[in-house]
Amino acid sequence: MSISSEETFATGSLPLDPIQKGTSILLTGEDADALESVFYKLSAPQADERGVIVSTDESGRSTLRSLDRVSRGSKSRSSVLAAAGSGRDDSVETISDLSDLTMLGMTLSSVLAESQQLEPRFRCGIYLCSTICSEVDDVRSVYRLLNSNFLSELRRGDGLGVCAIDTSADIGANMQSIVAGMKTSFKVHIDVEKTGSREATLSISGLADSDDSVTVAL
Amino acid sequence: MSRKILCVDTDDRVGAVADALDSEETMTTVQATTVEEARTALDEQAIVCVVTEYELADGSGLDVVRAIRETAPQTPCILFTDVPPNEVETDSFEEVIIEYVNRDLPDAHDRLAFIADDVINHSAQVGFLKPDDEQERLDALSRYDVDELPVQESFERLTDLIASHFDAAISFIGLLEEDEENFLACHGGDWDSLTRENTICTHSMLQEDVMVVEDIREDKRFSQNQQLENLGIVSYAGANMTTPDGHVIGQVCLIDHEVRSYSDAQRHELEQFAETAMEILQLRQSLLESRSLEVAQ
Repeated sequence: MSISSEETFATGSLPLDPIQKGTSILLTGEDADALESVFYKLSAPQADERGVIVSTDESGRSTLRSLDRVSRGSKSRSSVLAAAGSGRDDSVETISDLSDLTMLGMTLSSVLAESQQLEPRFRCGIYLCSTICSEVDDVRSVYRLLNSNFLSELRRGDGLGVCAIDTSADIGANMQSIVAGMKTSFKVHIDVEKTGSREATLSISGLADSDDSVTVAL
Repeated sequence: MSRKILCVDTDDRVGAVADALDSEETMTTVQATTVEEARTALDEQAIVCVVTEYELADGSGLDVVRAIRETAPQTPCILFTDVPPNEVETDSFEEVIIEYVNRDLPDAHDRLAFIADDVINHSAQVGFLKPDDEQERLDALSRYDVDELPVQESFERLTDLIASHFDAAISFIGLLEEDEENFLACHGGDWDSLTRENTICTHSMLQEDVMVVEDIREDKRFSQNQQLENLGIVSYAGANMTTPDGHVIGQVCLIDHEVRSYSDAQRHELEQFAETAMEILQLRQSLLESRSLEVAQ
């Protein structure tokens, strides 16, 4: 049985089959550049989609440029909640305090709802969830944010979600244990290991019809 | 079964919000127009979800959220308002997670009813991660008729042995239900149950191997957890009780009031104790089922 393209999300230049809507991806890796490259390839919205990105470490403008480099035109289809820089663009909301998860959660809900008024299909990305974990006092509130605002939106709508964790970050908890736990709540886990100056290996679990390991150009 | 939702809004708008939610067959509503009325309703009634406007006569919708988070932290809350997120005063509520629904959207009331139904059905604002196969796991757990199984004495002997073997202050066997962990036996403590987001086991069950937290004060998943602090918990080790079809339904755990680590050999031994606990539960259940079958024949 074939699945129509409305049921799936293309994976751009990554050698992966299209991914079923509603899929949540946990993206991990300890090389920030490799992680970022794969994140944008998965998160950049295509022609009939909207993108909503929570950017913890870069400005909204820089995030939009990164999206556009991966998929031309995706900048105009995206909204960014940025914890760095200032919001001088209609498509950028500035998050002044990343530890204020009440505000972050409400803003994410609001922007996702507005996006779905324009296009029901959406890609939602968090880069980096590890930075959010390091900013808060209690990681349970990050779990509540993921449950309430990220995983719930994917369950309810036609979306693809990517949540990135820099495993080299100090988040004030055992990273290996955190990732082991989060893997069970996400449908797909992709671990990115940089293997060359412009090459990485993706170790994949939970994605039907894909190899367990693929090599990608960065 | 009807689920009761608390609607908190101004006099002129609360009726329309309640009407939107009452249109769902499985929901009934309780109305309040102030923070104080909302607090009274939360004290007196079993509320499964809160829908609140931000601007209220005697405070804000976040005050209502905080009130229910103090008593029932897993209850989902929805802020239904036309105040934009960046105008909501969140300074003293930084880690209170809520759903935000903009009531200016054209389909706002329909959307609200859909979201309320969804957050209740999926316990969508809990402060812990659930495995992707949570429903299958709960189904597997429900197949063990724990109340009817004579396991308590066996488990009490086992937890005594485990505590003695590891020289640990506390040893317990707990089953992880949907919202709480129920303790079947506990050496060194008089514990009955804990809300799941307050337990370490809800994290440990997501790991295949034994989870050790040498000092919970150094781990941000647990360091702000007042309940754990009140119980004097400093270190933790937990191993999974896994059903024959692969679902983790409970934990066998060690607690100490001081920082401690566990060797690979000790972790393996704890896993063996967990397997033994699971075997006892499984054998008792099989025996109960056989006897029920004999009686039926």
